[in-house]
Amino acid sequence: MLKKYLNHFKHSLAETSAMLCVSSLIIFLIAMVLFIGFKGGQYFVPQSIYKVVVSFNDGPASDEAFYQASSLSAEALQTQYLERYQGQFLSQPELRPGVSVTPAEQVYQINTRSGPVYFGEFYALSSPEQELHPLTELENLKQAVDLLERSLNEVQGNKLSDLHSRIAALNNSDVAKEAPARQDLMDEFSKWQLQASALKTQIQQFQMRFKEADGSLVSVPLIEIDELFQANQLTQIERIGFTLNKLWQFIADKPKQAATTGGVFPAIFGTVLMVLLMAVVVAPFGIIAAIYLHEYAPDNKITGLIRIGISNMAAVPSIVYGVFGLGFFVYVLGGSLDALFYSNTLPSPTFGTPGLLWASLTMGLLTLPVVIVSAEEGLKRVPEGLRAGSYALGATKYETVLKVVVPMASPGMLTGVILAIARAAGEVAPLILVGAVKFAPNLPIDAEFPFVHLERQFMHLGVFIYDGAFHNQTQTQSASLMFATCMLLLIIVFLLNISAIMFRHRLKTRYERH
Amino acid sequence: MLKLFERDILSVDEISKAQTGIDVRDLCVHLNHKPVLNNINIRIPKNKITALIGQSGCGKTTLLNSFNRMNELNKNHACSGEVWIKDRNIYDRKEKVAKLRTQIGMVFQRPNPFPMSIYENVVFGLKIQGENNRRKLDDSVERALRNAALWEEVKDRLFDSALMLSGGQQQRLMIARALALEPEILLLDEPTSALDPLTTLYIEELINELKKQCTLVIVTHNMQQAARVSDYAAFMHKGELIEFSDSDSLFTMPAKQQTEDYITGRYG
Amino acid sequence: MRRQIQLNTHISAKFNQELEGLKHSVLTMGGVLEQQLVNTLVALQEKAPSLAERVALNDSKVDLMESQVEQECMRIIAKRNPTAGDLRLVMTVSKTATDLERIGDEIARVARLVTLNKIPDSDLVFSGMLDIGNRNVSMMRATFDAFARQDDKAAILAHQQDHDIDRVYKKVLEQTAAEIQANPKEISQWLDVLWAIRAFERIGDRCKNICEYVIYLTYGRDMNSASMKKTVKKLLK
Repeated sequence: MLKKYLNHFKHSLAETSAMLCVSSLIIFLIAMVLFIGFKGGQYFVPQSIYKVVVSFNDGPASDEAFYQASSLSAEALQTQYLERYQGQFLSQPELRPGVSVTPAEQVYQINTRSGPVYFGEFYALSSPEQELHPLTELENLKQAVDLLERSLNEVQGNKLSDLHSRIAALNNSDVAKEAPARQDLMDEFSKWQLQASALKTQIQQFQMRFKEADGSLVSVPLIEIDELFQANQLTQIERIGFTLNKLWQFIADKPKQAATTGGVFPAIFGTVLMVLLMAVVVAPFGIIAAIYLHEYAPDNKITGLIRIGISNMAAVPSIVYGVFGLGFFVYVLGGSLDALFYSNTLPSPTFGTPGLLWASLTMGLLTLPVVIVSAEEGLKRVPEGLRAGSYALGATKYETVLKVVVPMASPGMLTGVILAIARAAGEVAPLILVGAVKFAPNLPIDAEFPFVHLERQFMHLGVFIYDGAFHNQTQTQSASLMFATCMLLLIIVFLLNISAIMFRHRLKTRYERH
Repeated sequence: MLKLFERDILSVDEISKAQTGIDVRDLCVHLNHKPVLNNINIRIPKNKITALIGQSGCGKTTLLNSFNRMNELNKNHACSGEVWIKDRNIYDRKEKVAKLRTQIGMVFQRPNPFPMSIYENVVFGLKIQGENNRRKLDDSVERALRNAALWEEVKDRLFDSALMLSGGQQQRLMIARALALEPEILLLDEPTSALDPLTTLYIEELINELKKQCTLVIVTHNMQQAARVSDYAAFMHKGELIEFSDSDSLFTMPAKQQTEDYITGRYG
Repeated sequence: MRRQIQLNTHISAKFNQELEGLKHSVLTMGGVLEQQLVNTLVALQEKAPSLAERVALNDSKVDLMESQVEQECMRIIAKRNPTAGDLRLVMTVSKTATDLERIGDEIARVARLVTLNKIPDSDLVFSGMLDIGNRNVSMMRATFDAFARQDDKAAILAHQQDHDIDRVYKKVLEQTAAEIQANPKEISQWLDVLWAIRAFERIGDRCKNICEYVIYLTYGRDMNSASMKKTVKKLLK
């Protein structure tokens, strides 16, 4: 009786613990996705602006006051700040901090082109002629700025650059400094230059002034202002528009303000390009290696050793690949390439520094075992009977492999390549060593000959997150950008993996009809 | 002499050289360093159905495979002796294996259609041979499928996947695939063991029709099938050919006690 | 349960051919026997020993045919594993062949009577013999017809004819007995006649057997079994 009960208990224990493990795993996974999704999503949603006033010992005077954008409610924000200040002044018991948080309805959020975001109550618009314009004049003043900017562009684009190239031509033909033609040109050049700087000053004089929370006035040149809105008074449609705009900016723009705002386009671009290059390298290599191993290699100890080697390759820490890439690809290969083809630019290196090509090759090496193993898996799934059928119809080994085996194993091979891509898209450590940087001034592909610059350094989503998270822990806004990027990376890797699974499923159904 | 029943089956000794499809002389085969066939001598008659029977592991499949040198796919394979088909020894050094296999079709135990369309399956061998004339390919597909008694069933869906066909249809497709190359010899390795009894009878009937075009050799575990379908039968045991004769005699009055024991189910 | 056997509906065309051939062989044999019997009767009537001689010689042909049919039956059983109707057919053919061979023997016996010139000079017995012989011919025809068409009713009707033959046989036997009593010295002569009459009677019995096989072929049961009595009666109406 007791034994029976115990037995039953054992069974149910095994069942329950297994269920618990699985469910906690699923809960953990969902929680992670939700957390990153929530945090990342905040980046795109317009936040309310609150005025935060800090006082001590219930004193009426505000010792500190500032505007803060947040997606939290006023109460939550208040508790948050209170806790922070209480922690800060723990060692000074005579100071009791008090925080009041009130929604700031009238306050404008000013997004500037260069990145910084200001909050403030509108004070005045100023132009060179007049100090105090009302807000209604904004459009007129903006038009005036536009006009000035256009003439500035005219001066800079047509006149100055033209003169500049002519002077350069004179320089090249070794015309003496005192030659009259040269003097004329120089005079004209300085004249236009003066005019340009005058225009610039004029443009800078169109400003908007606004009042900070502590009452101080801040001026921002009109030309700098990208967006101006009262965040707390947006309608629902405006909020959606804002979100979409922000999303577009995120995908298509480059990072601003030390990667605290803006978009991640260069990182997406760099990641995709690196991964594609890697796939181009790794797919043929891995697939041909797998075909050799599975179809041609004799079944002996050496082949076994090679297989063990490949599975060990998959287990090598990725940083080791990074170091290898740096040591071998960059210094040895890149160095000798420079010595051979770019000796005129030495000692400044062309291929001898970390760059896109080396990063792709390193990642290719890193993901090679993944591709080989899945491609071989695909080959293994091709039934032996099909090979025999092909041979019996007079096909040679080569024809059998090419016409029967490879087409049937192709979904498996593709799965391997996709898994490799997913792996490379998420890898960080080796990339830091071989070419990914936190900010690259140029994209690896542009209009400049030869259009594709494999030697350039590039941006990568993973590295971008690593860098952002490492350097900007204090600023909530930038942390949001990191989470948003995280979310993007997660989505990309998810999609890649799902497509890999779907391919594998297709593979399975294809053979199970037999 | 009055004859009530027509017999077109000669006894084994009466088969002349011209009537021989495959002439096996002193064939020994080792697979995985073990002897599988031991000094086999057999003359398989032309345009007749010859069944190879015997227990599992007696070497009948190996013998079948040695007719189109499929044994060589096994990496540990050794073979001596001669197999003469149409005045040439297929184990000659000059013989090209791939070319040989186009002349000797083979159908396997389980239907193994390529995951392609029915049409592509049938023309696979021809395309390997470099035949790309669409007209000719179409003709051969129709002829092969008609010969395999499959044309009426699939003529409207030639470009559907071959995997959509039923087991019996697939096996007939496999026969069509081999017939497309117009082989002199068709080897069948337990062609119906994966099929239901009725489909089996249809395939057998098809095989019977096919002997007009080629010499057939069939390996089967099913004694009744061997009796039903074959004109000649060879009983093998442990790598040796015990008895080879026309199946009428073999199944009614075998010459060897061993054969009798096997076909009557007395084998120890 | 009555079941007509369809010979031409097997998947294997060759099997169809074989069964058809088997059935055909029986009819061929029957045809030969019928000819033998008719020839014997002609020889008897016209007292032509040469014709009778030919009949006696021909009997070996019938024996040869019988052995061929038996062999073919065995071959079919071994190679085709026939079942149900097919099996009944093969078994029926085999048994029929045996009976036919016996019929051949009986005919040969009568023929030998003619060759030995031992034809009875009593008109009564002679005409009785001819009568019973003619009845045999008609019964044989009816039997083979029933076999060819697998016609159960025809088989039963043919079966019935044996009664008449038995009746005539008894009468002829009585007449012969009377003749023997009249001339007890010629008893050895009469014994041969007695055997011949007996042979004619046996032919009827053999035909009866074949009719029973036909019924067995269609019903799968013995015609004289209790379960068949009703069916037979119904068919006779």
